[in-house]
Amino acid sequence: MRYIDYKTILPGTVVGFLVALIVIIPVFTTNPMILSIFIISGIWAIATMGFTLILRTGQFSLAQAAFMAVGGYVSAILTVKLGMPFWPSFLLAGIVSGIVALLLGLVVLRVGGMYFTIITLGVSEIVRVIALMWDSATGGAQGLLVPPPPHIILGSFEINFAASTVPYYYFMVFLVAITALVFWQMDRSRLGGVFLGIAVNPILAEHQGIHIMKYRVIAFTVAAVFTGFAGAYYATFLSAITPLMLGTWQSVSIMIMSIVGGISSLVGGALIGAFVLYTLGIYLNRLPIYGIQPFVYGAAIVLVLLFLPKGTGLIDLWGKLWHKVFREPEKAEIAEE
Amino acid sequence: MPPAILIDGLTTSCLYVTMAFGMVLVFSILGILNWSHGSMFMLGAFVVYYAVTAGGIPFPLSLLVSACVIGGLGILIQMFIIERISFTVAGLGMIYVSAVTVGLIFFFEGAASMLFGLQIKGLAAVLPGVLDLGAFSVSYQKIAVVVFTLVTMITMYIVLNRTKLGLAIRAVAQEPLASRLYGISVRRISWIVMGIGCALAAIAGGLMAPVYSVNPFMGRIPLIMSLLAIIIGGAGSLTGAIVGGIILGLLNSIIAYYLGWGSEIMLFLLVIFILLLRPQGLLGASPK
Amino acid sequence: MQLFELNNVTKLFGKLSALKDIDLRVDKGEMLCIVGPNGSGKTTLINVISGYYHPTRGEGFFKGKKIFGLRPDQIVARGIARTFQSNILFEGATVLENMLIASLPQYKTNNWQAFFETKAYKNDREKVMDRVTELLKAFDIFNDRFLPAVGLSHGHQRMLGIAMALATNPSVLLLDEPTTGMNHEEAMFLVKNIKKVGEQGVTVIVIEHNIKVILNIATRVIVLNFGNKIADGKPEEVLNKQEVIEAYLGTEAI
Repeated sequence: MRYIDYKTILPGTVVGFLVALIVIIPVFTTNPMILSIFIISGIWAIATMGFTLILRTGQFSLAQAAFMAVGGYVSAILTVKLGMPFWPSFLLAGIVSGIVALLLGLVVLRVGGMYFTIITLGVSEIVRVIALMWDSATGGAQGLLVPPPPHIILGSFEINFAASTVPYYYFMVFLVAITALVFWQMDRSRLGGVFLGIAVNPILAEHQGIHIMKYRVIAFTVAAVFTGFAGAYYATFLSAITPLMLGTWQSVSIMIMSIVGGISSLVGGALIGAFVLYTLGIYLNRLPIYGIQPFVYGAAIVLVLLFLPKGTGLIDLWGKLWHKVFREPEKAEIAEE
Repeated sequence: MPPAILIDGLTTSCLYVTMAFGMVLVFSILGILNWSHGSMFMLGAFVVYYAVTAGGIPFPLSLLVSACVIGGLGILIQMFIIERISFTVAGLGMIYVSAVTVGLIFFFEGAASMLFGLQIKGLAAVLPGVLDLGAFSVSYQKIAVVVFTLVTMITMYIVLNRTKLGLAIRAVAQEPLASRLYGISVRRISWIVMGIGCALAAIAGGLMAPVYSVNPFMGRIPLIMSLLAIIIGGAGSLTGAIVGGIILGLLNSIIAYYLGWGSEIMLFLLVIFILLLRPQGLLGASPK
Repeated sequence: MQLFELNNVTKLFGKLSALKDIDLRVDKGEMLCIVGPNGSGKTTLINVISGYYHPTRGEGFFKGKKIFGLRPDQIVARGIARTFQSNILFEGATVLENMLIASLPQYKTNNWQAFFETKAYKNDREKVMDRVTELLKAFDIFNDRFLPAVGLSHGHQRMLGIAMALATNPSVLLLDEPTTGMNHEEAMFLVKNIKKVGEQGVTVIVIEHNIKVILNIATRVIVLNFGNKIADGKPEEVLNKQEVIEAYLGTEAI
């Protein structure tokens, strides 16, 4: 499995162009439907990055949607039940999610790979049941209604979340950008190499002085913090949170987004996987054929794993396309390796 | 506690035992955890349903048909999907196999929804009526489940311990390299084992079809339960899977009776607890 | 100065005793060779010392402190590094990347500093890079440093494995059949490097079959057979002992 050198797939100019595009989109359209596609894709992308990071340490977690739920519920409970203002409760959502992951991770991550995944499945279910049963805090099956973030007044500039989708869009961009930056930096720093070592050869990694458990806990916790933020934002954007929204099957979707997008690129793969699969999912759900969305998602991951080289996904196809069409074709071979 | 609860528990136990046995067989010999095991259960139930209602095939024969069809499906999955993506690289290879089999859950649920639709399908009780034992009564249907499960398990025992095939399977489980030297094709054995594992799931599904309704999502809970049974019994231990299945089935019914909800979660918590205390399960082998 | 003290080390796998009551003393600066037929327990002994296995019985001391029951990464932190018989590397990474990952124990800065790339970290990193460059050049794989590690020739892959072990700055180096698959030139090149490493103060313990290599570097040889230590002493003496020759009869002519 080859980890992609970002420069081969996303040259600086392309990144610049994409960033400009993203910033300008609301100028072209303020259609809430279209904006919300971007917003929700962005939220899933953050959760997907978390999954990929954990995968990079050799663990397969089916609890990521549960951490979104934790973040969502914490933020909702703090604002609705305890009257806390939005921004502190948003921050706490991520922090609490991280703490839960840390405690869970310390106990559970020493368990072998397969067992870990089964436990994450259990965690997912347990979170759902707690949300369902702890009526007084979580609103039970009906969940909680989440108010929008308060107005922000910057000088003569007023940002009104209640009035339009555009502020939500920019906040999403901001959130995704911060997450992407942190994850990208983790990857290119010394930590990235250590994670890679643990993923491809844990025995060797241990014998080269790497304390596997420590790094797995780090990845698991960091992923949970940002996933918690994503969940809190998800609840805020949809104005509600219920136990069914973020269950095991959403965790499976996150997994599919990660692998189909491509795990060779921590940030790019997640972005492309989440965006493509989420948008596809919306259209599939509109069709009168029930069941086509999970069918396509399932088929997507099976096909990607069967036909693309290990560790690669859509992001690598993009890399090859970019080089074949726009740049030197030889670089396409390097990207292929 | 009314004995009906125990009977119910026994029926569920049979289900979990058959499922778990199939899953552990695949896990101990192929080294992979087949997350789509629950889908095999579901598809098995559907095959039986259509065989009986549309094909007019008698129930026991339908079970056999289902076992063969789904067993065949399992073999195809092993041949064309799992083999192609399991690398010898430790760690990541297993993850890719898990990822693919989890993806298959979605794939099969979606396909079943599209093909068979969502209306609840019930299979009329194949053996109507009840056996009156004085203090309580048992439906013949439930007795049939137990009987069929016993038959299946005994068959499995015979195959694994008294046939050449079984010998080959056990050889591969213990010493894959040495087995090759004796002319055993490890690949072929893998296919056969996968086929058997999926066939067992299908039989469990078929047996349950008359008892519960048949729908595309019915495999989810049996999957979870067979995972839990493996953990309780210790992955890699076939007897462990059986013990685990029995315990889970009984506990499930008891908890459901007393609490009315969340039996699934209680069991999960119990299992997680066991896993953390004894990572090798109750009967599994001690790690190095 | 005594570095290692192993007393009554026994390792059982079920009923199979891979190691039986092994006693061993190793002094600093020794170049010890472990020989024995296949299955005699050589790799098991290394595995026990490196923390990969825990012994069934026995105690082990390194620099006076107990070393059994620790994790492999803790053993590395104590200064003991090893290579593997099957020569494992980090696939998917280049030679340089492999070395950098392997050099983690050399760093003095923590993960926060690494993430934020503080000045202290950057200095640390430079020193690590220098050491890595030095090692790559010593093993003649510097020019291949941007190639995928698994793309190197077999002999060079082994060199990389040893370089990676050295990248942890060990005071003891355990090599498990390092010259397997090497031709004569490569083996002698490796011998030269091992001797150099020994001169720098590292204590080396090598599992070897190649007689020329053994005679070239060993100050002491111990022989294992079926988990027992059957000889311990100077190379010339040990290799001429009757029991040793008998143990090898049929597998390799001395």
